[in-house]
Amino acid sequence: MKTIFRLAVAIAVMIQSQTFGQSESMVKIEGGSYLPLYGTEQEVVVGDFLMDVTPVTNQDFLEFLQENPQWKKSQVRPLFADSNYLATWPSDDSYGANLPSAPVTMISWYAAKNYCEWLEMRLPTIDEWEYVAMASATRPDGRQEAGFQKTILGLYEAPNTYKNEVGTTFRNYWGVEDLHGLVWEWTMDFNSIMIGGESRKDSAGGGNLFCAGAAVGASDVKDYAAFMRYTFRGSVKAKYAVKNLGFRCVKDLPADQNKN
Amino acid sequence: MNKKNNKNRRWYAAVFLMTVMGMGLFTSCDKAVAEKKDPETIKVYGETIAELTAPPMVPRPVGDRAATKLKIEMEVIEKEMEMADGVTYNYWTFDGSVPGSFIRARVGDEIEFTLKNHPDSKLPHNIDLHAVNGPGGGAEATFVAPGQQRTFTFKTLNPGLYVYHCATAPVGMHIANGMYGLILVEPEGGLPPVDREYYVMQGDFYTEGEYGERGFQAFDMNKAIKEQADYVVFNGKVGGITGENELYAEVGETVRIFMGNGGPNLVSSFHIIGEIFDTVRLEGGDLVNHNVQTTLIPAGGAATVEFKVDVPGELVLVDHSIFRAFNKGALGILNVHGKENTKVFDDNFEAEPYNPEPILGSAPIEDGEPEEKAVEVLSLADKMERGKTVYNQTCMACHQTTGQGIAGVFPPLAESDYLNADVTRAIKSVKHGLSGEIEVNGNIYNSVMPPQALSDEDVANVLTYVYKNWGNNGTEVTTEMVKAVN
Amino acid sequence: MKKLVLLFGMLVFLAACNQADDLPVVVTGEAISVEKAMSQELPEMSVYHLPATWTNQDAQEIQLEDMRGKVVVMVMIYTSCKSACPRLVADMRNIERQVPKEYLDEIQFVMVSIDPETDTPQRLKAFSEENQMTDDHWMFLRGSEADTREFAAVLAVSYRQISPIDFSHSNIISVFDKDGVLVHQKEGLGVDSEETITAIHQELQR
Repeated sequence: MKTIFRLAVAIAVMIQSQTFGQSESMVKIEGGSYLPLYGTEQEVVVGDFLMDVTPVTNQDFLEFLQENPQWKKSQVRPLFADSNYLATWPSDDSYGANLPSAPVTMISWYAAKNYCEWLEMRLPTIDEWEYVAMASATRPDGRQEAGFQKTILGLYEAPNTYKNEVGTTFRNYWGVEDLHGLVWEWTMDFNSIMIGGESRKDSAGGGNLFCAGAAVGASDVKDYAAFMRYTFRGSVKAKYAVKNLGFRCVKDLPADQNKN
Repeated sequence: MNKKNNKNRRWYAAVFLMTVMGMGLFTSCDKAVAEKKDPETIKVYGETIAELTAPPMVPRPVGDRAATKLKIEMEVIEKEMEMADGVTYNYWTFDGSVPGSFIRARVGDEIEFTLKNHPDSKLPHNIDLHAVNGPGGGAEATFVAPGQQRTFTFKTLNPGLYVYHCATAPVGMHIANGMYGLILVEPEGGLPPVDREYYVMQGDFYTEGEYGERGFQAFDMNKAIKEQADYVVFNGKVGGITGENELYAEVGETVRIFMGNGGPNLVSSFHIIGEIFDTVRLEGGDLVNHNVQTTLIPAGGAATVEFKVDVPGELVLVDHSIFRAFNKGALGILNVHGKENTKVFDDNFEAEPYNPEPILGSAPIEDGEPEEKAVEVLSLADKMERGKTVYNQTCMACHQTTGQGIAGVFPPLAESDYLNADVTRAIKSVKHGLSGEIEVNGNIYNSVMPPQALSDEDVANVLTYVYKNWGNNGTEVTTEMVKAVN
Repeated sequence: MKKLVLLFGMLVFLAACNQADDLPVVVTGEAISVEKAMSQELPEMSVYHLPATWTNQDAQEIQLEDMRGKVVVMVMIYTSCKSACPRLVADMRNIERQVPKEYLDEIQFVMVSIDPETDTPQRLKAFSEENQMTDDHWMFLRGSEADTREFAAVLAVSYRQISPIDFSHSNIISVFDKDGVLVHQKEGLGVDSEETITAIHQELQR
């Protein structure tokens, strides 16, 4: 009995995913391995997956709210969102003066996660996100390119970029846009960051607050841009809604496509 | 003891000894009471909202108030501000100023500290107060995302002048962007009263463009790591305590400066040209030194300097690692007003010629006619505006804000006969420098002005600005005139 | 298309309902709504709003809300951990010993695995036996990766896999009241558990 249903669901999911796989709003990322700034001393392996080209917009999110009213600002449970949730939206059904195609911000991690799940997708892991974000316009890993770091730092410092429309920063090697310079983005495992706010102690090992603390040192102490992303992740809790924090979704490739 | 001593002598000796011992005992007891009162046990009375001030001002002294529960709220604000004329930088600040608000407490206070991070901030921040006894100085307890606030409490156990700063990774960058300030913990009964108190903090900045390069300048990580500062400034910017921001005192007053150094990298050789520190509270602690010319202030450290101003004039605050003062901005003014006191200082002497041997063959200076007017690129108003900027960046350090110069060292540009007599010579001086003896308004100067690395256009702009100000003859200098002078 | 998926989803749900018959602790979606209607609403901040289904050491499927009515003391660990987790387990045992026996059936000590892939129900069972935590007031749970992540988010527990067999994670013991509202957290290893015990007592008295 159960197997039959599982099969049925699997088929449905496959049909669904193909529609998304073919849509232009997502691009395929070919996996590989890389050394993240934090959390491990070995390279991590990232598999193939599809990623949204741009962050989720206000208009996208409004549509989500209309089908999932439990995430409207008047109805969301305080367990899942703090009082800043959608604070710049004048009402449940309007994003007001925010641009329709600006990234949605002031949403909690729970809301972001549920949005992606609603579309049969998920939030990217930090490793996936960072793996894609190290690409420059021309290379999958642009971290050593002259000026690449500087450009990103410059983008990070510019104020109020959350107000801009998606697709207004650079398109990287994979065809993904706005990873840097628009908003910070939620990741599935943002809470895997062992940064307790005392970064100097953290870089010396997390003490007894964290198990296996020795592995929390940074792999490249000069990658300031990555430091900024990781400390940001370390500063938030899942129910926070922050003005310059948005998200995008990713999707695993169906098993047959993954072998390509 | 010698057995031959008679009883009397012994008795006297014993009494004497006991008296001395008794006195010693009493004194040490008194001291013990005064010094060893455990600050942890000091009782607090009531609640007070702390008075916070932006530099260069400081809150009222604690005086003889009792310890209290002191509530402090500070806000992290990231904002673009001026680094120098025509140069802007994206500062990260405590309460919107660099350095951040001055906090004034007394020993034994229970401080309830709330850090708010403005919703528009792009980054999380925190605060490490060096006045805290506890992990991270509060860094972990105040680690706060944009649009959030966090509170922690601590008791001030050690009197002194302490730095606070942001300690979020990358720590260096947060400090380099201006996230530091001072917290003063006064001893019981307060510091001895003075007439004026000021708050000054030095900091080094690292920008993509060189010193003075116009427009928005981003933080340059590589220069910061190499410790190659483009700007070394007081109170957050070039001119942080000059011009309209200069400090003020009157002759005969005592002045106390709470002087901190945020770094992130450089150690300050703090000196005031024309003044001697009567008292320095070294490193912000209990050790007091007197009669000090220059005091060292470590990055992440502070010192309190006190002095009486005896004569009128402009006292110049510098980092005596002197290129920082004249080429990177570490320059400030304390303007002292009041009556001359020739007993202390008298400069009313005429200069007289002094020639150990006759000077031969000095090149005759040509009296060139002003060239014909060429096509103007900038309107006069634009030229004046640009000229003012160039003046403030390049000339003001020596020739002063209103061209008054500094007597005996830097000749005046205001109502200057030397300047007005010969425009070609003026252009030449700016382009190629000027050295040797000259006479300006009846006074002899013998100094060196190096050639200024300015475009011909900017030489024209700045000279026009000077000629059209401060009682000069109003000559408009054109780029072509400048080009013509070799 | 979405509707189609929804339909399939509902069928799966019904399947789960059928299975409910032979599993004593499974509470079906429908049963929850009935129960809600009968008892009072869950408080807004209750973690029992999390919709996830978990599996315990006896391979039973349960939802967190099944623990409603008990004070819950919870910690996140993984069974192959060699450094901090044994100490966290010891801390939990220490807390348990200080709870008077007569209260033990009003309290649930729960260890949630952050390594659900390795920590199968069999593994959890073995772990409970090794640690002599076989009484009813001990429970070991595993869930899906996403649900575990979400639960950790609620507890503000951070964790990350740093090698095939090791995780780094924050050491936090949490206490929930009888309605699943987080009332107390203590971070650190081998820390004084007095506050935690006080919190438990307070909740038991309510």
